Amino acid sequence: MDKASLIAAAQQGKVDAFNELVLVYQQQVYNLACRILGDPASAADATQEAFISVYQSIARFRGGSFKSYLMRIVSNRCYDELRRRKRHPTTSFEDFGKDVETNPALINGHEEPEEYTERQEMAHLIQAGIETLPSGQRITLVLSDVQGLSYQEIAAVTDVSLGTVKSRLARARSKLRDYLRVHGELLPARYRLEYEGS
Amino acid sequence: MAHLFGRQTKEQEQRDELLSAYLDDQLNAGERARLEAQLKTDPALQAELEALRHTVALVRDLPPVPIPRNFILPPTMAARPRPAPSARPRRALRAKPQDKAWAAPFLTAATSVASLLFVIVLAGDLLLSRVGRLAFAPASAPLPEAEAPKTELTPPLVEELEAGKTAHPTAAPIATPLPMEAPVEAPLETTAEAERGAVVTPKVTASPAPAMGGGPIEETAAPAPAPSPAEAEELTAAPTMATAAAVAEEEDEGSAEPTPSVVIEPPPSEVEEEEADAAEDRQDAPESEITEPVTISPWRVLEIGLGLTTLGLALATVWAWRARRH
Repeated sequence: MDKASLIAAAQQGKVDAFNELVLVYQQQVYNLACRILGDPASAADATQEAFISVYQSIARFRGGSFKSYLMRIVSNRCYDELRRRKRHPTTSFEDFGKDVETNPALINGHEEPEEYTERQEMAHLIQAGIETLPSGQRITLVLSDVQGLSYQEIAAVTDVSLGTVKSRLARARSKLRDYLRVHGELLPARYRLEYEGS
Repeated sequence: MAHLFGRQTKEQEQRDELLSAYLDDQLNAGERARLEAQLKTDPALQAELEALRHTVALVRDLPPVPIPRNFILPPTMAARPRPAPSARPRRALRAKPQDKAWAAPFLTAATSVASLLFVIVLAGDLLLSRVGRLAFAPASAPLPEAEAPKTELTPPLVEELEAGKTAHPTAAPIATPLPMEAPVEAPLETTAEAERGAVVTPKVTASPAPAMGGGPIEETAAPAPAPSPAEAEELTAAPTMATAAAVAEEEDEGSAEPTPSVVIEPPPSEVEEEEADAAEDRQDAPESEITEPVTISPWRVLEIGLGLTTLGLALATVWAWRARRH
Protein backbone atom coordinates (compact mmCIF):
# COMPACT_ATOMS: atom_id res chain seq x y z
CA MET A 1 0.00 0.00 0.00
CA ASP A 2 1.45 3.37 -0.97
CA LYS A 3 1.52 6.44 1.29
CA ALA A 4 -1.52 8.07 -0.30
CA SER A 5 -3.59 4.94 0.35
CA LEU A 6 -2.30 4.74 3.92
CA ILE A 7 -3.22 8.37 4.51
CA ALA A 8 -6.70 7.81 3.05
CA ALA A 9 -7.19 4.76 5.27
CA ALA A 10 -5.95 6.67 8.30
CA GLN A 11 -8.46 9.41 7.51
CA GLN A 12 -11.13 6.73 7.78
CA GLY A 13 -9.96 6.03 11.31
CA LYS A 14 -7.85 2.95 10.64
CA VAL A 15 -5.08 2.93 13.21
CA ASP A 16 -3.19 0.13 11.51
CA ALA A 17 -2.81 2.20 8.36
CA PHE A 18 -1.68 5.19 10.38
CA ASN A 19 0.84 3.04 12.23
CA GLU A 20 2.34 2.12 8.90
CA LEU A 21 2.98 5.80 8.34
CA VAL A 22 4.41 6.04 11.85
CA LEU A 23 6.91 3.33 11.07
CA VAL A 24 7.96 5.16 7.91
CA TYR A 25 8.47 8.58 9.51
CA GLN A 26 9.23 7.96 13.16
CA GLN A 27 13.01 8.01 12.68
CA GLN A 28 12.96 11.40 10.97
CA VAL A 29 10.47 12.86 13.38
CA TYR A 30 12.37 11.68 16.43
CA ASN A 31 15.67 12.82 14.98
CA LEU A 32 14.27 16.28 14.32
CA ALA A 33 12.89 16.52 17.86
CA CYS A 34 16.12 15.21 19.34
CA ARG A 35 18.32 17.70 17.47
CA ILE A 36 16.06 20.60 18.37
CA LEU A 37 15.52 19.72 22.01
CA GLY A 38 18.83 17.98 22.73
CA ASP A 39 17.16 15.64 25.17
CA PRO A 40 16.08 12.08 24.24
CA ALA A 41 13.27 11.91 26.77
CA SER A 42 11.71 15.21 25.73
CA ALA A 43 12.21 14.27 22.08
CA ALA A 44 10.38 10.97 22.62
CA ASP A 45 7.50 12.77 24.31
CA ALA A 46 7.30 15.36 21.53
CA THR A 47 7.38 12.63 18.90
CA GLN A 48 4.61 10.61 20.51
CA GLU A 49 2.46 13.67 21.07
CA ALA A 50 3.01 14.76 17.48
CA PHE A 51 1.87 11.40 16.09
CA ILE A 52 -1.22 11.43 18.29
CA SER A 53 -1.98 14.97 17.22
CA VAL A 54 -1.53 14.10 13.56
CA TYR A 55 -3.81 11.09 13.89
CA GLN A 56 -6.51 13.13 15.57
CA SER A 57 -6.36 15.86 12.95
CA ILE A 58 -5.54 13.83 9.86
CA ALA A 59 -9.10 14.30 8.63
CA ARG A 60 -8.24 17.88 7.68
CA PHE A 61 -5.13 16.88 5.72
CA ARG A 62 -5.92 17.95 2.17
CA GLY A 63 -3.00 16.46 0.29
CA GLY A 64 0.46 17.87 -0.36
CA SER A 65 3.58 16.74 1.42
CA PHE A 66 2.65 14.54 4.36
CA LYS A 67 6.22 14.76 5.56
CA SER A 68 6.03 18.55 5.71
CA TYR A 69 2.70 18.26 7.51
CA LEU A 70 4.28 15.93 10.04
CA MET A 71 7.37 18.11 10.44
CA ARG A 72 5.20 21.16 11.01
CA ILE A 73 3.38 19.53 13.89
CA VAL A 74 6.48 18.16 15.58
CA SER A 75 8.27 21.48 15.08
CA ASN A 76 5.40 23.25 16.82
CA ARG A 77 5.63 20.75 19.67
CA CYS A 78 9.34 21.40 20.00
CA TYR A 79 8.77 25.13 19.84
CA ASP A 80 6.22 24.87 22.66
CA GLU A 81 8.65 22.81 24.70
CA LEU A 82 11.46 25.34 24.18
CA ARG A 83 9.17 28.16 25.23
CA ARG A 84 8.13 26.19 28.29
CA ARG A 85 11.76 25.63 29.20
CA LYS A 86 12.44 29.32 28.81
CA ARG A 87 9.61 30.13 31.20
CA HIS A 88 10.50 27.38 33.66
CA PRO A 89 14.17 26.52 33.31
CA THR A 90 14.86 23.25 35.10
CA THR A 91 17.47 20.58 34.97
CA SER A 92 16.38 17.14 36.02
CA PHE A 93 18.69 14.46 37.31
CA GLU A 94 17.65 12.32 34.38
CA ASP A 95 19.36 14.77 32.05
CA PHE A 96 22.77 14.16 33.57
CA GLY A 97 24.80 11.56 31.78
CA LYS A 98 22.37 11.29 28.92
CA ASP A 99 23.59 12.35 25.57
CA VAL A 100 21.97 11.98 22.21
CA GLU A 101 25.33 10.98 20.78
CA THR A 102 26.21 8.41 23.43
CA ASN A 103 24.91 5.32 21.83
CA PRO A 104 26.95 2.20 21.06
CA ALA A 105 24.62 1.43 18.19
CA LEU A 106 26.17 4.36 16.32
CA ILE A 107 29.49 2.58 16.03
CA ASN A 108 30.23 1.94 12.42
CA GLY A 109 31.39 -1.58 11.75
CA HIS A 110 34.39 -0.32 9.77
CA GLU A 111 35.24 2.42 12.22
CA GLU A 112 38.03 2.22 14.74
CA PRO A 113 37.07 2.95 18.35
CA GLU A 114 39.27 6.04 18.27
CA GLU A 115 37.49 7.35 15.21
CA TYR A 116 34.16 6.67 16.81
CA THR A 117 35.23 8.60 19.89
CA GLU A 118 36.38 11.55 17.82
CA ARG A 119 33.18 11.58 15.82
CA GLN A 120 31.20 11.39 19.01
CA GLU A 121 33.08 14.36 20.48
CA MET A 122 32.51 16.35 17.33
CA ALA A 123 28.80 15.50 17.26
CA HIS A 124 28.52 16.43 20.92
CA LEU A 125 30.13 19.80 20.27
CA ILE A 126 27.89 20.52 17.31
CA GLN A 127 24.81 19.56 19.27
CA ALA A 128 25.93 21.87 22.08
CA GLY A 129 26.38 24.64 19.52
CA ILE A 130 22.91 24.03 18.09
CA GLU A 131 21.42 24.32 21.56
CA THR A 132 22.89 27.81 21.96
CA LEU A 133 20.80 29.10 19.06
CA PRO A 134 17.48 30.89 19.49
CA SER A 135 14.40 28.71 18.90
CA GLY A 136 13.53 29.98 15.42
CA GLN A 137 17.09 29.75 14.13
CA ARG A 138 17.59 26.35 15.74
CA ILE A 139 14.50 24.84 14.14
CA THR A 140 15.36 26.35 10.77
CA LEU A 141 18.93 25.02 10.91
CA VAL A 142 17.82 21.50 11.87
CA LEU A 143 15.09 21.44 9.22
CA SER A 144 17.56 22.56 6.58
CA ASP A 145 20.87 20.90 7.42
CA VAL A 146 19.72 17.83 9.40
CA GLN A 147 16.44 17.05 7.69
CA GLY A 148 17.39 18.39 4.26
CA LEU A 149 14.23 20.40 3.66
CA SER A 150 14.26 23.11 0.99
CA TYR A 151 13.70 26.79 1.75
CA GLN A 152 10.13 26.54 0.48
CA GLU A 153 9.40 23.51 2.66
CA ILE A 154 10.90 25.22 5.70
CA ALA A 155 8.80 28.30 5.01
CA ALA A 156 5.69 26.10 4.88
CA VAL A 157 6.61 24.14 8.00
CA THR A 158 7.52 27.14 10.13
CA ASP A 159 4.87 29.40 8.59
CA VAL A 160 7.25 32.24 7.75
CA SER A 161 8.36 33.92 4.52
CA LEU A 162 11.23 32.75 2.34
CA GLY A 163 13.25 35.82 3.29
CA THR A 164 12.88 34.99 6.97
CA VAL A 165 14.02 31.44 6.33
CA LYS A 166 17.06 32.72 4.47
CA SER A 167 18.10 35.18 7.16
CA ARG A 168 17.41 32.77 10.03
CA LEU A 169 19.44 30.06 8.39
CA ALA A 170 22.35 32.42 7.63
CA ARG A 171 22.43 33.68 11.23
CA ALA A 172 22.21 30.17 12.63
CA ARG A 173 25.07 28.95 10.49
CA SER A 174 27.22 31.96 11.29
CA LYS A 175 26.65 31.57 15.02
CA LEU A 176 27.39 27.88 14.88
CA ARG A 177 30.55 28.56 12.90
CA ASP A 178 31.67 31.12 15.48
CA TYR A 179 30.84 28.68 18.27
CA LEU A 180 32.96 25.98 16.69
CA ARG A 181 35.77 28.48 16.19
CA VAL A 182 35.74 29.42 19.85
CA HIS A 183 35.61 25.81 20.93
CA GLY A 184 37.88 24.63 18.12
CA GLU A 185 40.50 23.26 20.42
CA LEU A 186 37.99 20.71 21.62
CA LEU A 187 37.51 19.36 18.14
CA PRO A 188 39.58 16.47 16.85
CA ALA A 189 42.50 17.61 14.72
CA ARG A 190 41.06 16.55 11.41
CA TYR A 191 37.95 18.61 12.09
CA ARG A 192 39.91 21.56 13.44
CA LEU A 193 42.43 22.13 10.65
CA GLU A 194 40.18 24.11 8.40
CA TYR A 195 39.34 26.59 11.16
CA GLU A 196 42.90 27.43 12.02
CA GLY A 197 43.50 29.20 8.76
CA SER A 198 40.43 31.40 8.99
CA MET B 1 32.83 53.76 17.24
CA ALA B 2 29.67 51.90 18.12
CA HIS B 3 28.20 53.10 14.89
CA LEU B 4 31.22 51.67 13.08
CA PHE B 5 30.84 48.31 14.79
CA GLY B 6 27.12 48.30 14.13
CA ARG B 7 27.71 48.99 10.46
CA GLN B 8 30.36 46.31 10.33
CA THR B 9 28.03 43.82 11.99
CA LYS B 10 25.27 44.61 9.56
CA GLU B 11 27.62 44.27 6.62
CA GLN B 12 28.88 41.01 8.05
CA GLU B 13 25.33 39.72 8.40
CA GLN B 14 24.57 40.60 4.79
CA ARG B 15 27.78 38.90 3.71
CA ASP B 16 26.98 35.77 5.72
CA GLU B 17 23.47 35.69 4.29
CA LEU B 18 24.89 35.84 0.79
CA LEU B 19 27.40 33.09 1.55
CA SER B 20 24.73 30.88 3.14
CA ALA B 21 22.36 31.31 0.23
CA TYR B 22 25.27 30.69 -2.16
CA LEU B 23 25.95 27.35 -0.47
CA ASP B 24 22.31 26.36 -0.98
CA ASP B 25 22.28 27.67 -4.53
CA GLN B 26 19.59 30.17 -3.65
CA LEU B 27 21.13 33.24 -5.33
CA ASN B 28 19.97 34.56 -8.68
CA ALA B 29 22.43 34.75 -11.57
CA GLY B 30 23.48 38.35 -10.96
CA GLU B 31 24.10 37.92 -7.21
CA ARG B 32 25.96 34.73 -7.87
CA ALA B 33 28.24 36.31 -10.49
CA ARG B 34 29.05 39.29 -8.26
CA LEU B 35 29.84 37.06 -5.28
CA GLU B 36 32.04 34.70 -7.29
CA ALA B 37 33.99 37.64 -8.66
CA GLN B 38 34.47 38.96 -5.12
CA LEU B 39 35.58 35.55 -3.87
CA LYS B 40 38.38 35.43 -6.44
CA THR B 41 39.84 38.70 -5.19
CA ASP B 42 39.13 38.39 -1.47
CA PRO B 43 40.91 35.49 0.34
CA ALA B 44 39.28 36.39 3.66
CA LEU B 45 35.86 36.07 2.10
CA GLN B 46 36.92 32.80 0.56
CA ALA B 47 38.01 31.54 3.99
CA GLU B 48 34.70 32.58 5.49
CA LEU B 49 32.89 30.68 2.78
CA GLU B 50 34.95 27.57 3.42
CA ALA B 51 34.40 27.78 7.15
CA LEU B 52 30.69 28.11 6.61
CA ARG B 53 30.68 25.25 4.12
CA HIS B 54 32.55 23.08 6.61
CA THR B 55 30.13 23.94 9.39
CA VAL B 56 27.16 22.98 7.24
CA ALA B 57 28.90 19.76 6.25
CA LEU B 58 29.52 18.88 9.89
CA VAL B 59 25.85 19.39 10.74
CA ARG B 60 24.73 17.38 7.75
CA ASP B 61 27.07 14.57 8.75
CA LEU B 62 25.57 14.27 12.18
CA PRO B 63 24.53 10.67 12.64
CA PRO B 64 20.81 9.99 13.01
CA VAL B 65 19.77 9.38 16.57
CA PRO B 66 18.25 5.93 16.88
CA ILE B 67 14.70 5.84 18.15
CA PRO B 68 14.33 4.53 21.71
CA ARG B 69 11.08 2.71 20.89
CA ASN B 70 8.31 2.49 18.36
CA PHE B 71 5.80 5.32 18.38
CA ILE B 72 2.87 3.37 16.93
CA LEU B 73 -0.52 4.19 18.36
CA PRO B 74 -2.55 1.63 20.32
CA PRO B 75 -5.66 0.18 18.59
CA THR B 76 -7.82 1.82 21.25
CA MET B 77 -7.12 5.14 19.58
CA ALA B 78 -9.64 4.17 16.91
CA ALA B 79 -12.44 4.13 19.47
CA ARG B 80 -11.84 7.73 20.43
CA PRO B 81 -14.08 10.34 18.89
CA ARG B 82 -12.57 11.94 15.85
CA PRO B 83 -13.28 15.45 14.68
CA ALA B 84 -15.56 15.78 11.73
CA PRO B 85 -13.78 16.86 8.55
CA SER B 86 -16.01 19.88 8.19
CA ALA B 87 -15.43 21.00 11.74
CA ARG B 88 -12.66 23.44 12.54
CA PRO B 89 -9.87 21.05 13.53
CA ARG B 90 -7.90 23.35 15.79
CA ARG B 91 -10.94 24.05 17.90
CA ALA B 92 -11.83 20.39 17.88
CA LEU B 93 -8.39 19.45 19.14
CA ARG B 94 -8.70 21.90 21.98
CA ALA B 95 -12.29 21.04 22.73
CA LYS B 96 -11.44 18.90 25.72
CA PRO B 97 -9.48 21.47 27.69
CA GLN B 98 -12.00 24.15 26.79
CA ASP B 99 -14.81 22.02 28.20
CA LYS B 100 -13.18 22.40 31.56
CA ALA B 101 -12.03 25.94 30.94
CA TRP B 102 -15.48 27.52 31.19
CA ALA B 103 -16.01 26.15 34.68
CA ALA B 104 -13.37 28.28 36.41
CA PRO B 105 -14.68 31.72 35.38
CA PHE B 106 -18.26 30.59 35.89
CA LEU B 107 -17.53 29.32 39.38
CA THR B 108 -15.62 32.50 40.18
CA ALA B 109 -18.61 34.59 39.20
CA ALA B 110 -20.97 32.34 41.14
CA THR B 111 -18.76 32.57 44.21
CA SER B 112 -18.68 36.34 43.94
CA VAL B 113 -22.47 36.55 43.68
CA ALA B 114 -22.97 34.18 46.60
CA SER B 115 -20.46 36.14 48.72
CA LEU B 116 -22.22 39.40 47.89
CA LEU B 117 -25.61 37.94 48.79
CA PHE B 118 -24.19 36.60 52.02
CA VAL B 119 -22.81 40.00 52.97
CA ILE B 120 -26.07 41.73 52.04
CA VAL B 121 -28.14 39.29 54.07
CA LEU B 122 -25.79 39.57 57.02
CA ALA B 123 -25.82 43.36 56.90
CA GLY B 124 -29.58 43.39 56.49
CA ASP B 125 -30.03 41.13 59.47
CA LEU B 126 -27.81 43.30 61.64
CA LEU B 127 -29.48 46.52 60.52
CA LEU B 128 -33.01 45.20 60.94
CA SER B 129 -32.30 43.76 64.35
CA ARG B 130 -30.75 47.04 65.45
CA VAL B 131 -33.66 49.08 64.08
CA GLY B 132 -36.07 46.69 65.78
CA ARG B 133 -34.38 47.08 69.14
CA LEU B 134 -34.34 50.84 68.83
CA ALA B 135 -37.99 50.86 67.88
CA PHE B 136 -39.11 48.66 70.77
CA ALA B 137 -36.79 50.03 73.43
CA PRO B 138 -38.96 53.02 74.66
CA ALA B 139 -42.05 50.86 74.99
CA SER B 140 -40.22 48.24 76.95
CA ALA B 141 -39.74 50.29 80.07
CA PRO B 142 -43.24 50.06 81.56
CA LEU B 143 -44.03 46.65 80.16
CA PRO B 144 -41.76 44.24 81.94
CA GLU B 145 -42.95 44.96 85.42
CA ALA B 146 -45.22 41.99 85.33
CA GLU B 147 -43.15 39.49 83.46
CA ALA B 148 -39.51 40.21 83.25
CA PRO B 149 -38.43 39.68 86.82
CA LYS B 150 -39.47 36.07 86.55
CA THR B 151 -36.63 35.33 84.27
CA GLU B 152 -34.13 37.75 85.61
CA LEU B 153 -34.05 36.92 89.25
CA THR B 154 -31.14 35.05 90.65
CA PRO B 155 -31.23 32.90 93.78
CA PRO B 156 -29.72 35.43 96.15
CA LEU B 157 -32.20 38.00 95.04
CA VAL B 158 -35.11 35.65 95.50
CA GLU B 159 -33.92 34.90 98.97
CA GLU B 160 -33.62 38.54 99.71
CA LEU B 161 -37.03 39.21 98.35
CA GLU B 162 -38.47 36.50 100.47
CA ALA B 163 -36.70 37.89 103.50
CA GLY B 164 -38.04 41.34 102.81
CA LYS B 165 -34.59 42.73 102.37
CA THR B 166 -35.16 44.28 99.05
CA ALA B 167 -33.26 47.44 98.84
CA HIS B 168 -34.98 50.48 97.43
CA PRO B 169 -38.37 49.00 96.69
CA THR B 170 -39.19 52.01 94.66
CA ALA B 171 -36.05 51.98 92.68
CA ALA B 172 -36.74 52.36 89.03
CA PRO B 173 -35.47 49.93 86.49
CA ILE B 174 -32.24 50.90 84.84
CA ALA B 175 -33.99 51.60 81.65
CA THR B 176 -36.35 54.03 83.34
CA PRO B 177 -35.11 57.49 82.56
CA LEU B 178 -33.45 59.33 85.37
CA PRO B 179 -34.44 57.71 88.66
CA MET B 180 -34.16 59.99 91.59
CA GLU B 181 -31.21 58.17 93.01
CA ALA B 182 -29.52 57.78 89.73
CA PRO B 183 -26.15 59.37 89.42
CA VAL B 184 -24.97 61.29 86.44
CA GLU B 185 -24.15 58.09 84.58
CA ALA B 186 -27.79 57.10 84.45
CA PRO B 187 -28.55 58.50 81.01
CA LEU B 188 -25.62 56.63 79.61
CA GLU B 189 -26.88 53.40 81.10
CA THR B 190 -30.31 54.09 79.79
CA THR B 191 -28.97 54.47 76.32
CA ALA B 192 -26.94 51.33 76.64
CA GLU B 193 -29.89 49.34 77.89
CA ALA B 194 -32.15 50.68 75.20
CA GLU B 195 -29.65 49.57 72.61
CA ARG B 196 -29.44 46.15 74.12
CA GLY B 197 -33.10 45.52 73.50
CA ALA B 198 -36.45 45.42 75.09
CA VAL B 199 -36.28 41.91 76.43
CA VAL B 200 -33.86 42.72 79.21
CA THR B 201 -35.17 46.14 79.98
CA PRO B 202 -36.23 45.66 83.63
CA LYS B 203 -32.76 44.83 84.61
CA VAL B 204 -32.18 43.12 87.87
CA THR B 205 -28.54 42.69 88.41
CA ALA B 206 -27.72 40.76 91.48
CA SER B 207 -24.49 39.82 93.04
CA PRO B 208 -23.61 36.57 91.36
CA ALA B 209 -21.60 35.18 94.21
CA PRO B 210 -23.72 34.06 97.13
CA ALA B 211 -20.64 33.36 99.14
CA MET B 212 -19.66 36.97 99.14
CA GLY B 213 -22.02 37.62 101.99
CA GLY B 214 -21.86 41.37 101.83
CA GLY B 215 -25.22 41.59 100.22
CA PRO B 216 -27.43 43.74 102.35
CA ILE B 217 -24.96 46.46 103.02
CA GLU B 218 -23.82 46.74 99.51
CA GLU B 219 -27.25 46.37 98.08
CA THR B 220 -28.32 49.52 99.79
CA ALA B 221 -25.70 51.38 97.90
CA ALA B 222 -27.59 50.94 94.74
CA PRO B 223 -26.64 54.19 93.05
CA ALA B 224 -23.02 53.28 93.27
CA PRO B 225 -21.12 52.88 90.03
CA ALA B 226 -23.05 50.50 87.87
CA PRO B 227 -21.42 47.49 86.27
CA SER B 228 -20.47 47.88 82.72
CA PRO B 229 -23.16 46.98 80.21
CA ALA B 230 -21.19 43.97 79.09
CA GLU B 231 -20.94 42.62 82.55
CA ALA B 232 -24.60 43.22 83.25
CA GLU B 233 -25.53 41.48 80.07
CA GLU B 234 -23.36 38.55 80.91
CA LEU B 235 -24.92 38.22 84.27
CA THR B 236 -28.45 38.21 82.95
CA ALA B 237 -27.94 36.54 79.64
CA ALA B 238 -28.29 32.93 80.69
CA PRO B 239 -30.67 32.16 83.48
CA THR B 240 -29.69 29.10 85.35
CA MET B 241 -31.72 26.23 86.67
CA ALA B 242 -31.63 27.87 90.05
CA THR B 243 -33.24 30.92 88.55
CA ALA B 244 -35.97 28.83 87.08
CA ALA B 245 -36.52 27.09 90.37
CA ALA B 246 -36.70 30.39 92.15
CA VAL B 247 -39.21 31.70 89.69
CA ALA B 248 -41.26 28.59 90.12
CA GLU B 249 -41.22 29.00 93.85
CA GLU B 250 -42.21 32.59 93.51
CA GLU B 251 -45.08 31.67 91.29
CA ASP B 252 -46.20 28.97 93.68
CA GLU B 253 -46.33 31.44 96.48
CA GLY B 254 -48.68 33.49 94.44
CA SER B 255 -46.54 36.56 94.34
CA ALA B 256 -48.23 37.99 91.34
CA GLU B 257 -47.24 41.45 92.27
CA PRO B 258 -44.64 42.97 90.09
CA THR B 259 -41.27 42.65 91.59
CA PRO B 260 -39.45 45.87 91.71
CA SER B 261 -36.25 46.07 89.88
CA VAL B 262 -33.21 46.09 92.01
CA VAL B 263 -29.79 47.12 90.97
CA ILE B 264 -27.19 45.57 93.15
CA GLU B 265 -23.78 46.78 92.38
CA PRO B 266 -20.90 44.45 93.09
CA PRO B 267 -17.85 45.90 94.68
CA PRO B 268 -14.84 46.31 92.42
CA SER B 269 -13.16 43.35 94.08
CA GLU B 270 -15.92 41.07 92.93
CA VAL B 271 -15.67 41.89 89.26
CA GLU B 272 -13.35 39.02 88.53
CA GLU B 273 -15.56 36.55 90.26
CA GLU B 274 -18.51 37.91 88.35
CA GLU B 275 -16.70 37.23 85.17
CA ALA B 276 -15.89 33.72 86.32
CA ASP B 277 -19.51 33.11 87.12
CA ALA B 278 -20.54 34.57 83.83
CA ALA B 279 -18.20 32.13 82.18
CA GLU B 280 -19.84 29.35 84.11
CA ASP B 281 -23.20 30.64 83.03
CA ARG B 282 -22.09 30.44 79.46
CA GLN B 283 -20.92 26.90 80.01
CA ASP B 284 -24.33 26.10 81.39
CA ALA B 285 -25.99 27.53 78.36
CA PRO B 286 -27.94 24.36 77.51
CA GLU B 287 -29.83 24.81 80.73
CA SER B 288 -31.27 28.03 79.43
CA GLU B 289 -32.97 26.02 76.73
CA ILE B 290 -35.13 24.58 79.41
CA THR B 291 -36.44 27.93 80.50
CA GLU B 292 -36.51 29.67 77.12
CA PRO B 293 -37.60 27.85 73.98
CA VAL B 294 -35.07 28.42 71.20
CA THR B 295 -36.50 29.76 67.98
CA ILE B 296 -34.34 29.94 64.85
CA SER B 297 -35.13 32.98 62.82
CA PRO B 298 -35.34 32.68 59.05
CA TRP B 299 -32.49 35.16 58.85
CA ARG B 300 -30.21 32.69 60.57
CA VAL B 301 -31.26 29.89 58.25
CA LEU B 302 -30.64 32.11 55.25
CA GLU B 303 -27.27 33.25 56.55
CA ILE B 304 -26.11 29.72 57.30
CA GLY B 305 -27.32 28.48 53.95
CA LEU B 306 -25.64 31.27 52.03
CA GLY B 307 -22.46 30.89 54.04
CA LEU B 308 -22.25 27.19 53.30
CA THR B 309 -23.03 27.79 49.63
CA THR B 310 -20.32 30.44 49.39
CA LEU B 311 -17.82 28.12 51.05
CA GLY B 312 -18.66 25.26 48.71
CA LEU B 313 -18.46 27.48 45.66
CA ALA B 314 -15.12 28.89 46.79
CA LEU B 315 -13.67 25.39 47.14
CA ALA B 316 -15.04 24.39 43.75
CA THR B 317 -13.55 27.53 42.21
CA VAL B 318 -10.11 26.75 43.59
CA TRP B 319 -10.37 23.21 42.25
CA ALA B 320 -11.48 24.44 38.83
CA TRP B 321 -8.62 26.92 38.50
CA ARG B 322 -6.12 24.25 39.50
CA ALA B 323 -7.57 21.81 37.00
CA ARG B 324 -7.43 24.46 34.30
CA ARG B 325 -3.82 25.26 35.07
CA HIS B 326 -2.86 21.63 34.71
